[in-house]
Amino acid sequence: MAVLPRARRSAGEILAPYVAFAAKAFSREATYRMEVFTNVGSLLVRLYLMKAVWTALYAQNAAPAGVSLHMVLTYTTIALLMSLVLEIDGTRAIRDKIREGTIATDLMKPISLPLYFFSDGIGMTLLHATLIIPALVMSLFIVRIDVPSPAVLAAFALSFVLGYLVNFTLNFLMNCVAFWTLESFAAQLMVRWISDLLGGQIVPLIFFPGVLQQIVLALPFAAVYSTPLLIYVGTIPPSGYALALAVQLGWFVVFSAIGIVVWRAAQRRVVVQGG
Amino acid sequence: MGDGHGRPIARPNLREMPIIETRDLRKVFRTLVRRPGVAGTIRTLFSRDYEDKVAVEGVSMALEEGELVGYIGPNGAGKSTTIKMLTGILVPSSGLVRVAGLVPYEKRKENARNIGVVFGQRSQLYWDLPLVESFELLRAIYGIPEKRYRANLDHFIDVLAMGEFLKTPVRQLSLGQRMRGDFAAAMLHDPRVVFLDEPTIGLDVVAKEAIREFVAQVNRERGTTFILTTHDLADVERLCRRIVLIDHGTLVYDGEVEALRDRYGTHRTLVVHLAEDAPDFHVEGAELEAREGDIVRLRFDRRTISAEALIRRVADRYGVTDLSIEEPELESIIRRIYTEGYDAAPTVAPV
Repeated sequence: MAVLPRARRSAGEILAPYVAFAAKAFSREATYRMEVFTNVGSLLVRLYLMKAVWTALYAQNAAPAGVSLHMVLTYTTIALLMSLVLEIDGTRAIRDKIREGTIATDLMKPISLPLYFFSDGIGMTLLHATLIIPALVMSLFIVRIDVPSPAVLAAFALSFVLGYLVNFTLNFLMNCVAFWTLESFAAQLMVRWISDLLGGQIVPLIFFPGVLQQIVLALPFAAVYSTPLLIYVGTIPPSGYALALAVQLGWFVVFSAIGIVVWRAAQRRVVVQGG
Repeated sequence: MGDGHGRPIARPNLREMPIIETRDLRKVFRTLVRRPGVAGTIRTLFSRDYEDKVAVEGVSMALEEGELVGYIGPNGAGKSTTIKMLTGILVPSSGLVRVAGLVPYEKRKENARNIGVVFGQRSQLYWDLPLVESFELLRAIYGIPEKRYRANLDHFIDVLAMGEFLKTPVRQLSLGQRMRGDFAAAMLHDPRVVFLDEPTIGLDVVAKEAIREFVAQVNRERGTTFILTTHDLADVERLCRRIVLIDHGTLVYDGEVEALRDRYGTHRTLVVHLAEDAPDFHVEGAELEAREGDIVRLRFDRRTISAEALIRRVADRYGVTDLSIEEPELESIIRRIYTEGYDAAPTVAPV
């Protein structure tokens, strides 16, 4: 039947495998229930420590202009809740697949592997996202946080989605390094630490002094955590939304383009171990 | 073919284009030279010394649709490199490669729809999921129409007896069960070409035979083309009429298994059970290979004496209770080609 001229496939048929991948990833993650609960547990511990550190810092020092303790705690709590989904890295599988050589069998399938990793990641994310509500409820026992207006929440949600996409493309690029050097784990870990710090996950970027602040806010890492969080706490006012979101979108487009080029190059040099 | 029901039982052998074609196919791997020791490791970090390793050197072959060909060679001969180029995941250094009319590395995804792969050493089923869910996923990946999927799956469940472990997670399956699952997975989308890489490795005799029977049946009934890479030459003897031998990246033989046997398997062994002891046993035209009690093994060249003539000579002189003739195994023939080279192997028996 393959002799026939290839029938044009509808959008639904083209997307079907990726929807299936996401569904499978969702149910696969669900089988690791213990790990999921551990994540929430560790989140609550981290949240408690954050609160203790920030409270102590604020008790000893004068508060920086315009940033109250309450605001920092809100910021930190939302950042931790965001990390529940942003720390899921569907593209990590690239590294394992290259090391184990299973990438070869995947490439023998009529699918786009980057999209496969994306949909697999979405499936995992969706499962972990179901934890946000219970995690939020439990967090409220530790800290009290602000809830902004629906308009701000909507902007935050949009910014969060863009941040998710930027995060995916960054992870994808990092994991693609494994195509060139099979051991990319150390590089990966370093970039993760740097991006956590410069992305404003641990410390709000507005605490960085002067020029440094301008620099870190302009770096792509800020598009992942910092932008949605600054929208949430109101540091970025509604008049700044358009620009902030456009910058995030811009990073996503830039990294996607790089990703496509890198992927093409990677595919050309797939050398499976034991080949 | 377009009605989605069954495929033609017999395919016309008159296609102008072979389903698989390679011409002067060549692949050179460039690897970083690694030095031993700690100092060496550090030097390797900064070194740009590369070494070229030729994996496949000018392989040309053509396969007709519906053939079942054994692709044989010792470890490191270039078999898997060739297969990877045919599946489109490795770009040749030079030469031409075409599978079902497509250049695999240029059209990886389209090519993937035409092919199926089974690796004995590496499953492509989803480890954490029940077997049947892997099949469901493949249905979505290849966009197999529901009716076709049902028909194929039911057929494979039946033929491969997969009913009882369909809902078991793949990681809990035995090797035999997993291989059956892998075969079904490779064929659900009706590929025209299937690559089998060591498909019976580690299996017991019964499971091996079940797999071989399945391959033979699919080849016969669906006209699927198979390329079988294996070290178990019993697979080849059982399944393939044609064999392609590769060594050090170069083709050394491409032709019928029988022809290979005719050319190299010139010697047979006649095993004779004697009725009474004959200490001075001797027959002209054959060499006494071994003797254990009243069992005598005679090695003869079938071009200088026919089996019939030899048997008559033996029977004229001695009392015989039983006779049998042993053919040389394909394995010993191929071992001889590996060690002596194809051309060096004599066409006239030197004995």
